Parts: sequence; structure tokens; C-alpha cells
Amino acid sequence: MSAIVEVENLTKRFSEDVLAVDDISFSVEEGEIFGFLGPNGAGKSTTINMLTTLLKPTGGKALVAGLDIDKQQDEVRHVIGLVPQDLTVDDELSGRENMYLQADLYNVPRGEAKTRIEDLLKLVNLEDAADRRVKTYSGGMRKRLELAEGLIHRPQVLFLDEPTLGLDIQTRTAIWEYIRDLKKNNVITVFLTTHYLEEADGLCDRVAIIDHGKIVALDTPENLKHSVGGDVISLEVTSEKDLTEDLKRVPGVMDARKEDGQYRIKAANGEELTPVVLKAVWDQGAVVTSVNLAHPTLDQAFLEYTGRSMRDAEQTGNYDKVAASRRARRMH
Amino acid sequence: MLRETWSLTVREMKHWYRVKIQVFMTLIQPIVWLGLFGQAFNFGTFLPPSQIPLIFSGAPDYFSFMALGMLAVNALFTCMFSGMSIVWDRRFGFLNKLKVAPIPRGAVPLSRIMATVVRSLIQVSIVLVIALAFAYIPGLTGLTLKAGFSVTDLLGMFFVLFLLSVAFSAMFTTVALAVENQETLFGLINLLNLPLMFASAALFPTAMMPDWLRGIAEYNPLTWTADALRQFAFVDTAPIHDLWFDIIGLVAIAALLLGISAFVSRKLLSNR
Ligand SMILES: Nc1ncnc2c1ncn2[C@@H]1O[C@H](COP(=O)(O)OP(=O)(O)OP(=O)(O)O)[C@@H](O)[C@H]1O
Ligand SMILES: [Mg+2]
Repeated sequence: MSAIVEVENLTKRFSEDVLAVDDISFSVEEGEIFGFLGPNGAGKSTTINMLTTLLKPTGGKALVAGLDIDKQQDEVRHVIGLVPQDLTVDDELSGRENMYLQADLYNVPRGEAKTRIEDLLKLVNLEDAADRRVKTYSGGMRKRLELAEGLIHRPQVLFLDEPTLGLDIQTRTAIWEYIRDLKKNNVITVFLTTHYLEEADGLCDRVAIIDHGKIVALDTPENLKHSVGGDVISLEVTSEKDLTEDLKRVPGVMDARKEDGQYRIKAANGEELTPVVLKAVWDQGAVVTSVNLAHPTLDQAFLEYTGRSMRDAEQTGNYDKVAASRRARRMH
Repeated sequence: MLRETWSLTVREMKHWYRVKIQVFMTLIQPIVWLGLFGQAFNFGTFLPPSQIPLIFSGAPDYFSFMALGMLAVNALFTCMFSGMSIVWDRRFGFLNKLKVAPIPRGAVPLSRIMATVVRSLIQVSIVLVIALAFAYIPGLTGLTLKAGFSVTDLLGMFFVLFLLSVAFSAMFTTVALAVENQETLFGLINLLNLPLMFASAALFPTAMMPDWLRGIAEYNPLTWTADALRQFAFVDTAPIHDLWFDIIGLVAIAALLLGISAFVSRKLLSNR
């Protein structure tokens, strides 16, 4: 595998006090699904906009498919696709007309365009609404159309900025499925941003956690989760005796503690260790009344690396304020 | 280059005719102008009859004179708003779609220019028909063309209106690409439209202007257009310029403004 997106010291400063992307470096391997996970205002869109030739970097450099995003903009545009966060579909046209326009912009062969358009409209569940004007669509329908548009021309690198934001769970799952298929059947690299933990976890091969314009961690979702600690087995036991020391001696147990009448046992691999631990308890003559096995979540990883949980970050991120400032920005 | 430019031009046209009220408004305005302005200011009646064709470039009356000027003014007004769609597209994010698409940057202004030119020529045809139809309404003056007015003359008229439309739509499209917001664009349109219209031979004969104003008006593309139109439509026009001067002037300005538009869009539609 070789790197298809290479980013070195990329920086974007909007003004004195707004440093949106702060000297980030990373690379994306060809054929992988790479995710940017971060709260509102972290700099995800700004990074994507620089990589897709919409914004000029203040510093650093980046190559997409070996092409310089600043010096070879025309060439870069031929190999990428973008589904932006802010909708760009045309209200006055119908869904289908929007799709055909997109096919023309990307020079998709006409015969091919027709089949792809019908397939994609079906995928995003818009066949019935396809001939209605987009201004009669709901927010979710627009988003689905936008996504379908982005998939028409099968680019080498596909950038998806919050592809499933605001979609219901069925559509979201269908989109994930499609992205996985796309990757299976084509040589395509997907770079996506999200603040859905499940999306980063279930879809991405590797995830970069970005906060305040900096990449604070980058690894596979598995490794990220394990880096903050292993699985936790919780046991409720009826026993006079304190079993903590006995549990600690079980091979494979990393740590054991008694909290509120429950034993919490940390282990690298909870599935394999649970029966062993249960046996150890029985051997002490105690009775287990309840068992619970918890895997570490990406949210814990997020907490570990950014010092706050994703949900808190979202809440203090002032979504309304960010959204309002984005709306205001577009007025210019 | 062709496919996306064509596709975007079609999109522009769809926007235009789907917003019915817009089509309606663009028709109302020339009717009002021709009806009120053209009829009320029919000040030819104050001139000795022998003077009329001399002052009105061969037109038999003021209405006929100004009706042809109105064709040029109507084309100008249509073109002034050619940039509006760019402002809206920026606002609604559509411009970003065009910016990331692998299309030549010039396709963006070119498609607007083409759509505007088509629109402008359609509207101008309607204004022409209305001006001619006025002759059949009792009590009103209508447009009277020369005896022996031919298809060639008509094509000539449309050709100069085409050149004028290309020039002005290129100009205002480029301005819209550069200014980035609606208020500034409106400001510029307001700033430019009255001087362009009144410092020209479109609505008033240059013969009646003070020297300084005539000096300016003679080099206004709107004057070249009106002057050429009258040379096609009337006899003994006592033209301001030679017909070829008018046409070559319009070709030159249209080519120059198209060139600027293509050049500027390369800069303005790249990353910034
Ligand atoms: N054009 C702009 N001018 C000024 N500041 C900007 C501009 N675009 C973004 N910013 C600021 O840069 C920071 C990063 O914004 P960005 O849109 O990249 O965040 P994000 O990670 O995509 O967030 P979200 O999850 O809300 O989409 C924010 O503080 C934002 O206010
Ligand atoms: Mg964003």
C-alpha cells in the first residue's frame, strides 16, 4: 500500500485569533476509509476544504494522488470527489436534473450516467421524489441527494464531510453499506469527517481524533480503544470473603478492584477471560449472581485524548453559534 | 468545455422560465417605458417637420427613435442582472460545487453569459413586437420602420444587440464574481445604469446634448448599438458613426470583456 493523501504541516489561519487547522501531518493509504473524528469547530471541514482546492492553506503542503493541492488544482479536481457539509444541490431543479447536471460536470459517459443515476436514486430512496423540485424536499432528502451526487463519478479519492449528519438510522446504515461496497469493488479511498462515534468505529479503517485544529491521536479504532485500557468484566458475587487478591492472581487479569459490592476486572481480552474468572470464583466457593462484560468505547478514547467526552465537547461546542457563524459566512 | 458549459446554460434558462414572475416583470418594464415615456415625451411635435429625421437619426417621430434605443436599454438591463445568479449560487453553496468540479473555470461565467444573451434577445424581440403593435392602437404612436425594411436589416439589428449583450453580460458576470456580495453588486449596478443609459444616444438624440456629454456619449457602446440599429431601421439617418465603426467597436469591446472574464475567473474560482 502507498499513501494517496500526504499532508505535511498543513495550517489554516483565518485571522489573528482563529487558527482553524494547526500544523497537522498525516497520510492516508490508498484504498482505506480514513476518518476525521472531532467536535464542532475542530477544523475537520477546513482540512477537507483545503484538500479539495476550496481553501488556500496558510502553511504546509499536501499531495492528493501525488498532486499538489495548491500548485496543481486543476489536476487534483480530476481525481477527487467531494460531498460537502453544507448542501449545494439546486433547489429549482428536480432531484434527477441535479444528478444529470452533476454527471455533466464530471463528464460521466452519458449511457453510464443513466444507469448510475437510477441506481443511486434507488440507493438513497429518492426514486419516487426524483422528479419533484428539490425545494419541496426535506432536509434529510436533500442530504441524500447530495450524497448520491457525490458518488456518480467514482473518483480516486472521495471526500465526505459529515456524510450522514441528520440522516435517520436506516439511511445511515444503507450509506455505510454502500461505502463499504464501493471500497470492496473499486480502487477508491474515502476520507470522511464525522462526529458520530459509531461511524468512525464501524466504518473507518483508521481514525484521527482532531481537536482545536490538532491531531491528538491517529490509529485503527481497535487500537485507539485499547490504548485507553482493556475490557472490563464486572461481577456480583455472594461471598463473605474479599476475592480481590484471588482475582488478581488469575493469569490474564490486568487489574481487579472491589467497588460498591462489585468486582471490576480489567483484561485485554474479556471474552476469553470471563470463563476463567468465573471458574476462579467458584473455586473459592462463592456464587456469581451477575456478570457484565464491557468493551472500551471510542468515546473513552476521545475522553482520554481530548480531556472531555464527545458529548460534552458537543455541548460546550455551541452548535448553534457555530452554525450561525457558518450561515453568516456564506452570506459573503 | 462544451458539455458542462451547455449543461450550466440550460440550468440558467430553467431558473429563468421556472420563475414565471421574473419573465413577467421583464416584459412589464419595457411596456411601461414605451407606453409612458415614449408616448408622453413625444416632443417631436414641437419641432418643425423638416428637422425631425435630422435630429432623430432618420426616425419619423420620437417614439420610433426611442423604441430602438429601448431595445438596447432593455438588453443592458437584462445583462446587468446576469451576475445575480452568481451571487445566489455563492450564497447557497452551489458555487462551491462548481469550484471543486473538474471544469475549466471559464465555463462558469461563459454559461451565464450565454444564458443572458439568449434571454436578452428573446426579450428584445418581444419589445420590438410591442413597439410595432403600438401603431395599431388608436391614439398611440407606434414604431415605423423604413419602407423596404428587409430580413437582412433585421438580422443586422439582432447581430448588434447580440454583441451588446455579450459585452455587458460579460462585464456584470465578472463584477459579480469579484464582489462576493449582493449589496455591493446592487450598488454597482445602480451606480452604472443611469449614466450608461443617459449618456448615450439610446433615449435622447446626441444633437440635443451639451458638448461635453455628447463627447462621452459618442463612445458609449450603448450609443454604438442604437446608432447601428437606426442605420438598419431608418433611411437618411445622419449617423453618429459609420456603421462599420459601430460594429467593430462592439466586437472589440465584447471580445475584450469576454477575455477579462475568462482571465479573472481563473483567479477568482481557484482556492482562496
Ligand atoms: N471562512 C471562515 N472564516 C473564519 N473562520 C472560519 C471560517 N471557516 C471556519 N472558521 C473557523 O474555523 C474553525 C474550524 O471550523 P471547521 O468548519 O473546520 O470545523 P469542523 O470541525 O468542520 O466543525 P463542525 O463539526 O461544526 O462541522 C471554527 O472555529 C470556525 O469558526
Ligand atoms: Mg464541518
